[in-house]
Amino acid sequence: MTGFWRILGREAGLAWAGGGGAAGPTAFFLACITLGPLAIGAESETLVSVGPGIMGISALLAVLQFGERSFADDFFDGTLELYALSNISLPVLAFAKVMGQALATLWALPLIGALGGMMYGLNAGEVLVVFCGLSAAIPALALVAGFASALSAGVRRGGLLISLIAIPMMIPVLVFAAGAGRAALDGDYDRAWATVLLTLAVSLGTMALMPFGIAAAMRSRLG
Amino acid sequence: MPVETASMPDLSDLEAHSLSVSQLTLKRGEFVLREDISFTLNPGDALFLTGRNGSGKTTLLRTLAGFLPQAGGEIALGKDGDPAELIAWLGHTDGLKPNETLRKSLRFWAGLAGQPGSVIMPVLKALDIGHLIDRPPARLSRGQQRRGAMARLAVMNRPFWLMDEPAGPLDRAGRERLGELVAWHRGRGGIVLAATHQDLDWPGAQRLELGGGL
Repeated sequence: MTGFWRILGREAGLAWAGGGGAAGPTAFFLACITLGPLAIGAESETLVSVGPGIMGISALLAVLQFGERSFADDFFDGTLELYALSNISLPVLAFAKVMGQALATLWALPLIGALGGMMYGLNAGEVLVVFCGLSAAIPALALVAGFASALSAGVRRGGLLISLIAIPMMIPVLVFAAGAGRAALDGDYDRAWATVLLTLAVSLGTMALMPFGIAAAMRSRLG
Repeated sequence: MPVETASMPDLSDLEAHSLSVSQLTLKRGEFVLREDISFTLNPGDALFLTGRNGSGKTTLLRTLAGFLPQAGGEIALGKDGDPAELIAWLGHTDGLKPNETLRKSLRFWAGLAGQPGSVIMPVLKALDIGHLIDRPPARLSRGQQRRGAMARLAVMNRPFWLMDEPAGPLDRAGRERLGELVAWHRGRGGIVLAATHQDLDWPGAQRLELGGGL
């Protein structure tokens, strides 16, 4: 398992130092939720009702940003070959890499989501549900973005490809994560927490399966 | 050639492995580049792959490393287990991250290969880049970056070195250091394959001419 932690630590460090850490996705997230009221209007009832949905969409878009450079750099600087020859199996390596990068760059998103929930006028219980929903969703979103990133590594205008591949696969997570917040708005906290757990289940399933997809994508980019 | 093995670190002994290739077909996409490639390398051997641009030097190295599917023939690399774990790779690109210092990067690769961090400094000194250990590669010259990548080969302590144009960005002194490093590795029972256009002076190295390109 020590190899797993080495990879995770290295990727977290690289993303933290070289990629600006959490600044990019966080700034993007903040911009989305700040622009929301400007476009939608400042009526408090409207803002409360769209709050959880805006948080979900903003998180999804912020994670897409994260996917842009995730594997492309490895492709161009030759790290992909070295990783393929490492003594860690490629799915484990892919999982460690994406989780390391996600830890370094996406950790702030649930916090910003909670902050945004307060800005939009959600009460404490609703904010908590939004926070937990986002926390549960982010591993799945990061792995899907990582998969799209690995598939498009080395492709010109990979960013476009990443969006086209990743967004459809992110839909279930978005539906659950935002649905939890909406259920809390309706006052139905049983359903809200059940939906948070569903989001978590999707995330766990993605964590179990997606590393194999990412590994296959990495191998295909070596050919 | 004088080999200063005294200045190189004490790594755990390499297992003796050999490589035998028989009637290998090289394919790039649908194009057959070359058929019927056969050679055998034993511990301590070195092989130059030569030939014009497009003759399949890189394709052969990438096929041996398992990056490209094998189109026909046999490759027997090492004894058993995963051949990928016996190969240290030096490609066109150096595999360095622009903002990760040589110290961090070599620590990572040595650690992943189960080698202690203490092996790093002697190797860097032998390559004349000991003073650059805390510089990020973004502030190194191409030749210095290549030396950093050569150090990675050494600290990983793997028996097969596959190198694609290793001397490309190196100056004369750099080529000498490369020659010493390769001689040190072969002296320990390692095997080296290098695709190259340059005349490198590695004593007793075999040569495989892949001929004209397509």
